[in-house]
Amino acid sequence: MGITTSPGVSAKKRPWRVTFKKQWQLYLMSFPMLFYLLLFAYVPLLGWVMAFQEFRPRFGLSPIGQVMSNKWVGLENFKTLLDNTTILGQRFLQSVVNTLGQSILILVLGFFLTIMLSLLLNELRLTGVKRFVQNVLYLPHFLSWVIVAMLASTALSLPGSGGFLNDFLLKVGIVDRPIQFLADPGYFWGIVAGTHLWKNLGWNTIIYMAAMTSIDPNLYEAASIDGANRYQKMWHVTLASIRPTIVLLLIINIGMLLTSGFEIQWLLGQGVNIVRSENIDVFVLRYGIKMGNFSLATAAGILRTVVSILLLTGSNFVARSLKQETLF
Amino acid sequence: MTALILFSTGGSFKVVFDAFPPEYLLYGGALMKRTLFTAFLLVILSAVLFASGADETKGAQGNGEPHVFSPDNPVTIDAWIVTSQTAPSPDNKISKLLKEKLGVTLNYDITTPDQQLDRIGIMLAAGSIPELVGSTDQQARLVQGGALLRLDDYLDSGRWPLLAEHVRPVRKKLTWTGGGVEDGLYQFPNYNRFYGNPPIMSPIHWGTAFWIQKDVLAFHNYPSLENMTLERYFDMIESYMKANPTIDGAKTIGFSFPMQGRVWGLTNPPLFLAGYPNDGGVMVDDGQAKIYANSKYAYDYFKFLNMAHDRGLVDPESFTQTLDQYLAKVASGRVLGVHDQRWSFGTANDALVANGQYERTYAATMPTFPGKKPYYADRDVLNINQGFGIASNAENPELLLDFLEIMLTPEWQTILSWGIEGEDYLVDENGLFYKTQEMRDNFNNLTWKQDNRLEALLDIMVKRQGELPGGNAFAAGDQPGEFFDSLKQYDKDFLAAYGLQTWRQFVNDPPPNPAHYPAWQISPPDGSAAQVANQQLEDAAQRYLSEAVLTDPARFDSVWDEYMAAIDSIDVAAFEAVITEGVQARIRAAGGE
Repeated sequence: MGITTSPGVSAKKRPWRVTFKKQWQLYLMSFPMLFYLLLFAYVPLLGWVMAFQEFRPRFGLSPIGQVMSNKWVGLENFKTLLDNTTILGQRFLQSVVNTLGQSILILVLGFFLTIMLSLLLNELRLTGVKRFVQNVLYLPHFLSWVIVAMLASTALSLPGSGGFLNDFLLKVGIVDRPIQFLADPGYFWGIVAGTHLWKNLGWNTIIYMAAMTSIDPNLYEAASIDGANRYQKMWHVTLASIRPTIVLLLIINIGMLLTSGFEIQWLLGQGVNIVRSENIDVFVLRYGIKMGNFSLATAAGILRTVVSILLLTGSNFVARSLKQETLF
Repeated sequence: MTALILFSTGGSFKVVFDAFPPEYLLYGGALMKRTLFTAFLLVILSAVLFASGADETKGAQGNGEPHVFSPDNPVTIDAWIVTSQTAPSPDNKISKLLKEKLGVTLNYDITTPDQQLDRIGIMLAAGSIPELVGSTDQQARLVQGGALLRLDDYLDSGRWPLLAEHVRPVRKKLTWTGGGVEDGLYQFPNYNRFYGNPPIMSPIHWGTAFWIQKDVLAFHNYPSLENMTLERYFDMIESYMKANPTIDGAKTIGFSFPMQGRVWGLTNPPLFLAGYPNDGGVMVDDGQAKIYANSKYAYDYFKFLNMAHDRGLVDPESFTQTLDQYLAKVASGRVLGVHDQRWSFGTANDALVANGQYERTYAATMPTFPGKKPYYADRDVLNINQGFGIASNAENPELLLDFLEIMLTPEWQTILSWGIEGEDYLVDENGLFYKTQEMRDNFNNLTWKQDNRLEALLDIMVKRQGELPGGNAFAAGDQPGEFFDSLKQYDKDFLAAYGLQTWRQFVNDPPPNPAHYPAWQISPPDGSAAQVANQQLEDAAQRYLSEAVLTDPARFDSVWDEYMAAIDSIDVAAFEAVITEGVQARIRAAGGE
């Protein structure tokens, strides 16, 4: 993992210019990526001014012209969003709760299941079988979310419309009348987590599998000599060796807790389940962009970014104080 | 720094990027467009710096010679069209004709109605829009955002007499006065500007009804549809359902309605049951608009629907299915009744006809509450804020108007609507158009239409509805003789059983529309409290009404109370005030004429 910093590498106070002269080719090669980041990650931040305006896009104006032609409203848009005495505010806060609920469910389930699956795959001895299983597991990742949503919607519908999940539950006798999964808000977080797992579980094992291949085989040998059985080797060698990877991925994922995806919620969300389906992205689309209220959309985006940065630095801090690998 | 300069020149690209995180960009290929756009910016950086296209003065409006359309002088027109019709196939017959006769190639960019608002936001912010703009946005965001060209001076120049005549009688109604830009005409209406005196009206009722499968009526031996009530409507469905638990092997569905993107499928019935015409979310009495979501009428209807659901007559998936899934169900022929507007399930109806399942197509019924007179059908309402406009940064607006002008000639109107003489229709000794059975079947064949019709273009194009010169109807289906001749035997017998000649006769004979009508065309401005209230009313309706209908009848009242509490917390007064204001303005305008 190239993200980690180890104290040994830090340059010994060499003048900047000397380093540059020596490594200018490297700098040159990094320039396109730097430019890309600047253009797509930092320059768009200028658009944040919209959050402090009552922004109405005017066709054909330059960005500066757009900014100048709109009314400044200060923190009005943020107040609207965070005011839980109005319906709009309640709705936004509910969408934050939904986003967190959905992504924590995805994170927790995904975190344990991915590691478990990676361990299991790692234990497969026959390379042919392993490859085959891996390929089968990766496949759903390449389906578009639209297709996944349609599959899920059919699978969860009533038996008469092809709802095989209900068919199955009825046949096994778990339920005595079909469940309308999409009509009961209580199921929605589970549906989101379920579809994410179905789609990405296999794919997410890749990083862990890569980390596992770099484990020194001597460790296993030594463990065997010490009398470790297979489960003990999994626990004390494999899992222990990929711990830095696990911690790093966890920190990164915690930073993305306020992003629980968009497509499933948008495509399967209906009035009847909206209390649990509308997350921040959907809220922004419905009450911001669809209603031409770009300022509100931007304000919601800023709030999300700020909280995400707090979560990321927070979890990084916790990791550091626990003497674990850190992101920065 | 370079990036900054680059950025400040490229339209408000940042707006788009910030408002659409990468998840959205992947949607609909927008990501690729964005990348291309950036590449484009890099290449012509210097050129862009000096081209502030919006301020260009369009000097000679209407002066100069009209464009001579000929194959020797080929032009390509980029057209953005909002429609649920599909794009024509690449070697479409009429496309070829346009190229051979006029040298015109159309580049279609088709957006479905439900995706429209997303696209408009992107177009406005990015400052990039195809030159010919065919939208159906009630909110007129393109107009307010300055993306469309004001057409008044062009029309007054006299260079486009047909277009000028097209809007002349309805100019006042079409004129945008909602602010943001100078008052004026920005779009040519795509529907319901009628020619002829009196115009030939469609024999089909395209509006709202409680539709019922013809076979259900046949099963009950063609009962009278006068004084229809909800009880009778659902009783007919129930007894048919008992006799036919499956249709073509699939479970029979009693009653459904569209909801996704068409929430009126759920919410509008109380309006009609109470004998009001379609004013959208409000009832208008004495020039005052009032919502009816919290009225006794609404309570009665949804209480009834809840009971009907308990009897197994309402498809519970109505509340969770997508529009496509709904249409697919209707097209499968197993839905006995729908509350919908005829155009809304048009594609499903076409599919049933294409399959020859005439007994599974629908007839209109008009249930009302006791003592109320049905007012389901209105006089055809002119579309406003819909149809073709010209992008304000179009390089050559005159050419585009020339193109629309030539499309409005009777010759091209006939080609677009009827097709090519000898191939798609024939002319009798009186000059009246008619078709052979094969030609009619072609028109019902979805694949044939892609190769031989320009339905997407026609949907948004200016149309001479009513009457073409020579006494022919604009649309083949409206031709008086043609309508009855084209009916299949099943439909002829069905009409005969009721002693009627057209489908329109199944609904009420509409009186002249009230001056304000229809209030649904009045939309609160973007960002206003009224607009938010409207959205919240819609959301509350979807959430609580779904629950109210699906719940155990014993719990109905408590869910209803929750719904009323939710409505009470919404700023309904702001919404009603804006609509009332619009209604009053229209009444004043009508009085002033």
